[in-house]
Amino acid sequence: MVNLLFYALAAVAVACAVGVVAVRSPMQSVLNLLGSFVCLSVIYLLMGFQFMAAVQILVYAGAIMVLFLFVVMLLNLTDDGERKSAFLELFDARVIAAFAAFFGLVGVAIAIAGQTASQLATPGMVPDGGFDEIEALAIVLFSKYMLPFEAASLLLLATMVGVMLLAKRERPGRRETDQLGMDVQGGQS
Amino acid sequence: MIPTEALLLVAGLLFSIGTLGFLIRRNLIIVLASVELMLNAANLTFLAGSRIHGGPDGLLNVEGPIFALFVILVAACEAAIGLALVIAFYRQRQTVDLEAATELKG
Repeated sequence: MVNLLFYALAAVAVACAVGVVAVRSPMQSVLNLLGSFVCLSVIYLLMGFQFMAAVQILVYAGAIMVLFLFVVMLLNLTDDGERKSAFLELFDARVIAAFAAFFGLVGVAIAIAGQTASQLATPGMVPDGGFDEIEALAIVLFSKYMLPFEAASLLLLATMVGVMLLAKRERPGRRETDQLGMDVQGGQS
Repeated sequence: MIPTEALLLVAGLLFSIGTLGFLIRRNLIIVLASVELMLNAANLTFLAGSRIHGGPDGLLNVEGPIFALFVILVAACEAAIGLALVIAFYRQRQTVDLEAATELKG
């Protein structure tokens, strides 16, 4: 039953991913991405990662998706002017590169899975709190991975400042002089 | 229990579709969406790996979810910066077509 549900969800997730790439309109592409995220979240749940499923919905389907939708609506892209038959050029070098990457990845994945299948401790057993029980997660996160955690806060701060700097609208002439024509950069303190 | 091979296959498919989109699309927003797809595939791989490797002494192995958390964090930062860049680019060129990005003569 779980496996059946998983295969259905996986099929939808992959179909949505194809939709992201193949659809012309950016709006539909972003909505396809949302579908893929939600399917992946349910897959996490089926795998026994309850916390990660929640985070996936909150951060990806919530925050990141809102960002994408904001930008698509803000820019009001009606026609992206892209050529219609992007998929007719199937023997483009880039397409071949993507396929090669896919087969390489799948080969490596199957090899690794075959090797580790024998190491399964208790197949079919999911712990009560899931594989990512929040308490166990927090203990490791705040001891062993304390430094990366702090670095992550720095990264978020840098992102915040960077985005404000990038998205701020530059007003011509405002930066060099104020209303009286005094040089602001010169520092009239 | 969902077979690990199937999980890795799904992750591989998502990653390659993301790669394909990253390489062949010219709309900046869709290129960013493709990068998000690839990061998601990486997350799925982390979780699949974490599930089959128990920790020492039968404890839970939570390193996979922790790495996935960090990936999600970096993905959020990347999306914010990338979309801010898209807006700045659009302001300058009135388009989000990658072909219009010729400032560096690429």
